[in-house]
Amino acid sequence: MRRRDFLKKGVFYSLLVGLYTSTIGRISKAIAQRPAPRAAAGYDLVAVRGGEPVAMYRRAIQELGGMQRYVKSGQRVVVKPNMAWDLPPERGANTNPELVGAIVRDCFAAGASRVFVFDHTVDQWQRAYTNSGIEQAARDAGALVVPGNLERDYQEVQIPGARRLRTARVHQQIIEADVVINVPILKHHGSTTVTIAMKNLMGIVWDRRFWHLNDLHQCIADFCLYRKPDLNIVDGYLVMTRNGPRGTSTADLTVMRSLIISSDIVAADAASTLIFGQQPRDIGHIRIGSEMGIGQMNLEALNIKRIAL
Amino acid sequence: MKLGYLKNVRIVVSLAVLLLLLLVFIDIGAGFLQGVTDFFIRLQLIPSIFRFLALFFTISGLGFVLVLAITWLVGRVYCSSICPLGTFQDIIIAIARVFKKKKNRKFAYSANPKNPIRYGILGATIILWLSGSLFLINLLDPFSNFGKISVTFFKPAYIWLNNQLSFLLERFYIYAVDPLAPVSMTFEVILISGVILITLVIMSALRGRLFCNTLCPAGAMLSLVARKQVFQITFNEEACNFCGRCERVCKAECLNSKTKTIDHSRCVGCFNCFNACSNEGLSYSRKAALVANPATEPKVNAGKRQFLLALATGLLSIPLFNNTSKAKGFGRPGLVPTGTTMPVIPPGALSHDHFTSHCTSCYLCVGVCPKNVIVPTMFGHGLQGIMQPKLDFHKSFCNFDCVRCCEVCPTGAITPQTLEQKQTIQIGIAVFMVESCIVTIDRTDCGACSEHCPTKAVDMVLWDNLRIPEVTPDLCIGCGACEFACPTYPYKAIYVESNPVHKQARPIEESEGPQEGALDEFPF
Repeated sequence: MRRRDFLKKGVFYSLLVGLYTSTIGRISKAIAQRPAPRAAAGYDLVAVRGGEPVAMYRRAIQELGGMQRYVKSGQRVVVKPNMAWDLPPERGANTNPELVGAIVRDCFAAGASRVFVFDHTVDQWQRAYTNSGIEQAARDAGALVVPGNLERDYQEVQIPGARRLRTARVHQQIIEADVVINVPILKHHGSTTVTIAMKNLMGIVWDRRFWHLNDLHQCIADFCLYRKPDLNIVDGYLVMTRNGPRGTSTADLTVMRSLIISSDIVAADAASTLIFGQQPRDIGHIRIGSEMGIGQMNLEALNIKRIAL
Repeated sequence: MKLGYLKNVRIVVSLAVLLLLLLVFIDIGAGFLQGVTDFFIRLQLIPSIFRFLALFFTISGLGFVLVLAITWLVGRVYCSSICPLGTFQDIIIAIARVFKKKKNRKFAYSANPKNPIRYGILGATIILWLSGSLFLINLLDPFSNFGKISVTFFKPAYIWLNNQLSFLLERFYIYAVDPLAPVSMTFEVILISGVILITLVIMSALRGRLFCNTLCPAGAMLSLVARKQVFQITFNEEACNFCGRCERVCKAECLNSKTKTIDHSRCVGCFNCFNACSNEGLSYSRKAALVANPATEPKVNAGKRQFLLALATGLLSIPLFNNTSKAKGFGRPGLVPTGTTMPVIPPGALSHDHFTSHCTSCYLCVGVCPKNVIVPTMFGHGLQGIMQPKLDFHKSFCNFDCVRCCEVCPTGAITPQTLEQKQTIQIGIAVFMVESCIVTIDRTDCGACSEHCPTKAVDMVLWDNLRIPEVTPDLCIGCGACEFACPTYPYKAIYVESNPVHKQARPIEESEGPQEGALDEFPF
């Protein structure tokens, strides 16, 4: 082969390969970014009070038409609890482990092929996974509990429409997931007043410092534009009312026995904030999220089912 | 009586000890044979002496007495079984043998015991130690050097392999192998550990246990005891036929088959000679049966050299001081230089004086810290505390519910603490730099510091419709979570100033459990 032929062919084939990979990449990304299913005809938000966490969840998901409305057969699901802290369940810093277990079981019952559970923890990750009790509960339910503290697992994504957080490095399980179920615990937070569903998504990105440096509330709202969770289940049973988000003792906790469930992340946060005893408009990221059209902060505009067990 | 089997016993014991210690340093299978491993760590000569002194004559620090007693009875068998660096050199010797030509595989008796070097170094080490500097111990203690090499080279290699395996298994949705975070290392520490490793490789590949009989202060200390040992390896006049096999396998180069003499101060008790002898020409017998050999007696004219050497190293140990002047000003967050003036040291280390005068830089704490917050430094503690570790809050922070470093420290530089005690030890105090904080400069909420604080010593208070950090010093334990989390750069807006002497923090108030506050109705 002549040198010129060789070069020509080389350029041609490399272009071909480049074109192929870039289009395939785009298509698979488009598939990953399918919009969250709307709560068709039914309730926008279900609020339950007066029961145990799992019982409240069962009742709430039943009102929404069951997990099969959100998880279809063969889908890949991520259940994202808050398990950032090396603290036992009774300290109320992490999501209730039984609740996480029940959700994972429902996902499998609805036909999920795989369910992943992880968090980018604050404390040492193995200790947080173990001591929160979530690792065991999720594994018992059949989930794959995967590490969230490895830089290699995070890939950069674009966030169209964002005001400050235009790119973020997101955990690959989120990128590959068909369904994301956000399971935060309702807590006080030193600077954002409350931490609920929107703020829980800080546990699926790599560089949280960037958020803190660039208007935390705006970044929390911006990130929801990347991918809204398909379902938000707020554990409001044991609520940390001060010294959050870690808490210093069980004296920081109040047993409120509530649970909020909604596919509208802003609405879930707004309802939970009211339970916490604050006004949603006073919480920066909830207000901005509502303004940016991420969700509805005004609960009067929503179809809400209220249940007392 | 055939004593050839002693070599095999020695090999099995030494490899077992080496493996156990390697597992501890790399932190694999924590708790595996913990009691046995602890026992062998307690026997490490120099760390044991430090432990004895650091923990006020604790029984767990009496390992050195046992070692000295054994050495007095049967010689320096410690060097060939308990000392991990000794076994490590034996492995290098065995590997080097494979690459050598057959005629070069043998050792030969060295008539020069190099007493001025080994006793000079021992003397200098002791003089420096008495004057408050661990310079030579940190560079030469065999156990600590084994630790340095393990943590600097073997642990990263293990982590890499582990993570490759974990990555591979993840493709098959198997998450049985946890990926591990890499250890933080500075270039200088890697360099020094590398120099130590290469020196060891060269010395042992060429001349067997030369390190143990020249540079090693533990070896020199045991030599002094071994001179008086009760049971010695001796030649059987009738059985020995001058074949010289024993001399060719003597790694310490201390056995002269022509004159049938052994320099017991250099003998490391490897028992290769017993194994090599085909004729029971060697045996253990009481010293009384022996005639003193003038050739192996120590030369006492080393005083001058010892003194000069000690003086030179003593001068080197003058500590270095770094004082950066602090500029004040507003502007971008993180532009005001901050950082502790003295290194922060682990809880249980009591004070800088205690820590720097007892830590032999074995890096066991570095190897086991689950948060990788303990990092080696080069001159962080000055030349007298060369290579001793510190807590680096730019890399990580100290986990509130963890006392691993207190549990493992072999020298007592970090004293044992219960979890409850540790949680109120104040190793430093958070200092908030309002002129550098994102809240004051950008006027946005942040609170990363307070979020991470386990005691709420850093709390957020109202400030112009925003919330700004406020430090309650007596609640602060100096864990560094706030400093780690603070997003400003290059300097942090909150940092931990080290306590030269550790203090007690105010304990978190005992809680009465959660309050009952179930909703009567929904507020919406």
